[in-house]
Amino acid sequence: MMATAFEFKDVTFAYRSHPALNGVSFSIRLGERVALLGANGSGKSTLLRMMDALCFAAEGTATALSAPLTEAAMQDDRTNFAFRRRVGLVFQNPDVQLFNPTVMDELAFGPLQLGWDKPKVRDAIAAMLARFNIEQVKDRPPHRLSGGEKKRVALASVLITEPEILLLDEPTAALDPASRADLVGLLAREPVAGRTVVTATHDLDIVEDIADRAIVLSEGRIAADGPALDILHDIELLRRTHLIFEHRHSHGGHPSTAHGHLHSGIGPAEA
Amino acid sequence: MVEASYGSCTCGKVRRGVLDRLVLGLVDAESHALHAEEVAARPGLLQGVDPRIKLVALVALILGATATQSLLVLAMLFAGAVALAVASMVGIRRLSRQVWLGVLLFSGTIVVPAIFLVPGTPIAHVPVIGWAITLQGVRSAAFVIGRSETAATLALLLVLTTPWPHVLKALSSLGVPTAAVAILGMTYRYVFVLIQAATQMMEARRSRVMAPPDARERRRMLMTMIGMLLAKTLALGSEVHTAMIARGYRGEVRLLDDFRTRPADWLLLFGALAVPAVIMGLGT
Repeated sequence: MMATAFEFKDVTFAYRSHPALNGVSFSIRLGERVALLGANGSGKSTLLRMMDALCFAAEGTATALSAPLTEAAMQDDRTNFAFRRRVGLVFQNPDVQLFNPTVMDELAFGPLQLGWDKPKVRDAIAAMLARFNIEQVKDRPPHRLSGGEKKRVALASVLITEPEILLLDEPTAALDPASRADLVGLLAREPVAGRTVVTATHDLDIVEDIADRAIVLSEGRIAADGPALDILHDIELLRRTHLIFEHRHSHGGHPSTAHGHLHSGIGPAEA
Repeated sequence: MVEASYGSCTCGKVRRGVLDRLVLGLVDAESHALHAEEVAARPGLLQGVDPRIKLVALVALILGATATQSLLVLAMLFAGAVALAVASMVGIRRLSRQVWLGVLLFSGTIVVPAIFLVPGTPIAHVPVIGWAITLQGVRSAAFVIGRSETAATLALLLVLTTPWPHVLKALSSLGVPTAAVAILGMTYRYVFVLIQAATQMMEARRSRVMAPPDARERRRMLMTMIGMLLAKTLALGSEVHTAMIARGYRGEVRLLDDFRTRPADWLLLFGALAVPAVIMGLGT
């Protein structure tokens, strides 16, 4: 039986008086590829941040790698170090993630914080530059990178420490179609032998490529949890959780051609 | 029907308000940074020098310029700075526009009274009012202007021929506290994000304004924009700190230092260090 990566039981969390998570319970095993689906404001990013010990449950219990995810536990340097070594989060906004003066410094940041020696850091940087095809921008400051390059560098800056668990917050947000396909290709090709990948997204098109299981969040609660393909084909669930919508149009302005499509993710389906 | 043309008048001259000038200034700052990066990538003399050596050498030359009591030595140092600029492919026209003219106007304005107020041998008189210009006054003014011009030229050579991240790493490897270097690095990193945010806010405002706002409204808009930028800065700062923690940051920043020092760099360092040493040794 595979070990547990995350175990959440009746977890609640609120930003001041605004509830973000309300009685969330789920379990993720090591090696699973999971998509957290939900419309804007459904609680995906908060949940992801909680899984990365950046905010903590107000009520309920949360554990990661069998250790409690609490503020008190993370105050301990040894626990914090062990956790950061094994779990990596790629933020939605690359301008938040990329805070170093150059791409090289960005890649070096994580390994240096984890105490790697410098020759090992240099070797790892060289490998990541080649793997993510970003050698040509290694000396550039992040503000001179395109959106796609920023996402690649952000992903490389987390994967360089080879975390066992990779958390991704809206990896395809604000990318043009080519950069999006490129990034999804990278994620799909990513050697996942044993690596747990949890991706928060509302981009249903990418789910089949990057996840085997999907958890749907709606208004801070879990609305569904199951195999990704089953979730993607549950039209009523997706419509209810605002992940798809009906769009009516006509061809050439002719009223007789008027018909409806369901949009996002699973291709057009006649309504 | 009366057509309103915001930001311009019928005489053809463009009238810009405080906000527009502010944004133009921000965009200008960004273009300066772009130019600096382009110069730093040229195959010039100083571009090839180890940044640590360059930093120490140029600071030594600046110290030499401020310590010397000889106008001839000052002139030689200035000529040396110009020669370094030429050898480093830094445009003289840009230097004169960006540094020499500005410094001359600024320090010149400050020292103008000195040429009349410093007591000494009169060498000329101002027509009509009859004020005496003294030799000692002119000499004092020449020192102030010469030192300012030389120091500014050498400082600009450092930042133009060295990518900013390398300046930061050089500071770090020379013992400047890592926290201070990290703060400088993040300031450089996020000033562009904030410039972009400010520019977008200005453009959004401009796209929705139908007629030129009056002075009171412009002041209100400026205050609102400053407040919004401050709020964005705080939010961004908090997010960045979270991102740092997520990657193992526990209050101490570690940097990867990969500089290489060549024999020619050591030569430059000893040459530059000799200048203030000789000047101070001679006491002139």
